[in-house]
Amino acid sequence: MSDETFTTLGTRERGLAAAAGFRSRPSLLQFLLLFAFGALVVQTLIVVEARPQDLITGVSGMADLLARATPPDWSRLPDALWPALETVDIAIFGTVFAVLLAAPLAILAAANVTPARPFYYLARGIIALTRAVPDLVWALLFVTAVGLGPFPGALALAVHSVGMLGRLFAEVVEDMDMGPVEALTTTGASRLQVFTHAVLPGVLPSLLGISLYRFDENLRSSLVLGFVGAGGIGFQLLTAMNLFQYRTVSLLLIIVFVLVMSAERISALLRARVA
Amino acid sequence: MAGAGAGPGGETLLRVRGLRMRFAGGTAALDGVDLSVGPGELVIVLGSNGSGKSTLLRCISRLLHPTGGEILVAGQNLSRLEGAALRRARQALGMIFQHGNLVRRRSVLANVVSGSLGRHPGIRTSLGLLPAGEVPAALGYLREVGLEHLAQRRASTLSGGQAQRVAIARALAQRPRLLLADEPVASLDPEAAEEIMRLLRRLAKEDGLGVLCVLHQPELAVRYADRIVGLQHGRVLFDQPAGELAEAPIDRLYEAKTQAQAA
Ligand SMILES: Nc1ncnc2c1ncn2[C@@H]1O[C@H](COP(=O)(O)OP(=O)(O)O)[C@@H](O)[C@H]1O
Ligand SMILES: [Mg+2]
Repeated sequence: MSDETFTTLGTRERGLAAAAGFRSRPSLLQFLLLFAFGALVVQTLIVVEARPQDLITGVSGMADLLARATPPDWSRLPDALWPALETVDIAIFGTVFAVLLAAPLAILAAANVTPARPFYYLARGIIALTRAVPDLVWALLFVTAVGLGPFPGALALAVHSVGMLGRLFAEVVEDMDMGPVEALTTTGASRLQVFTHAVLPGVLPSLLGISLYRFDENLRSSLVLGFVGAGGIGFQLLTAMNLFQYRTVSLLLIIVFVLVMSAERISALLRARVA
Repeated sequence: MAGAGAGPGGETLLRVRGLRMRFAGGTAALDGVDLSVGPGELVIVLGSNGSGKSTLLRCISRLLHPTGGEILVAGQNLSRLEGAALRRARQALGMIFQHGNLVRRRSVLANVVSGSLGRHPGIRTSLGLLPAGEVPAALGYLREVGLEHLAQRRASTLSGGQAQRVAIARALAQRPRLLLADEPVASLDPEAAEEIMRLLRRLAKEDGLGVLCVLHQPELAVRYADRIVGLQHGRVLFDQPAGELAEAPIDRLYEAKTQAQAA
């Protein structure tokens, strides 16, 4: 088979075009990559035991569930308000305390401002550890340590968020524009003045934006944490499911939906303001 | 500000003697530099890329710690100072950078007032508050650079030339006796560049400041400088009054560069 699109070209041009990366057919490597990707997808179907027919037979079961879940049991709304507040407060607690811990940690973990190498490695280690362990696992650990309820959930979010925020905060500090810092240093300002007048105004908007986004994520996490006994509306949801109270489940899902959407909107609005 | 009326000559504001700077693992960026700047004098440093111009200015302002030599500012040796004594001595020299280096989210006025922080130690300014008493003076410096009407503007909205003039006003707010400027017009269009050079010259001639300015354009240097210092490989190749300078020595500065590019 000849390179059809290249037939109008002379030998020299053909050589140049090929050297410049022109191809009229996929190369063998591209073909192999495509095949490998296809194989990758097929093996997932086998490993997760995908059975499309079950989706079809499951439709009637879903319809039955839906029928039993409607209408939502609004009479249970008052009982759900306190757990809803718990869920929101778990997220706020987790975010606020994580920010307070992550800020100094990020200074140590930023290569351009860290006071000494050992601090740098220590801070990076703490960040890696708290980040790598999922918040759900932290919640299981804290439930074991301090017992059921919202407090272990709040602790779990705080600890996991320290890692998530610490890494992003450190990145902001590392990418900081050093120009204003040098400019104020040469005016004879003190180190603390340089920090509050040049460093902070430069990085604060980014730090606030990241924190608000983290709150949004923490709210969604705090719903799931209830499933392992760490309080909030997730715990209610689990209980209602176990008792087959599907009309309560649908009410709780509506509340979850409202909470998640509100947090997302509020966080996005505030982020736009500080940008 | 009525000028001190001091002309060139007489007492020296800045005297650099045998200044050496060797970066870790590198060659000597400065290899024994001598130069001086008097009150009311505009000295321009020329040299090709990498000749050590920025290193020279950063050593004088002590953003870098020189490996050797003396930096005498009004008789005081800056190269040996640390901590509070260094901060106090730094107030006498204002530094202007290529890009203005303003705090972009703050207003023009706040940026100018922040130049006075060195004179206002204490808790309030350490917490990020600005000394309100400096506002009238700051407005005066903005008037001096022709930008009083932009006092309320956010620094991020300024053009390059405006930002550079605000940076000069901020340097004036520290009440310096000497201005150091590292390629202050390198990123400006020709018109804005002329304006900045006129301003620096006026500050030297009317307010009696000493000005040490790094430039990339020999033709600007010849027109504005009192004296031109040619730097090559970290050494002073020549140091002459601008009027007496022929073209040959300036060409020689950039010669090595041109040869390297041709090769
Ligand atoms: N922070 C640094 N670390 C190592 N070498 C540097 C550093 N800053 C500058 N140099 C080197 O010092 C020499 C002079 O640089 P510089 O003063 O920036 O030159 P110029 O401003 O004249 O272009 C160059 O060879 C440069 O690579
Ligand atoms: Mg330079």
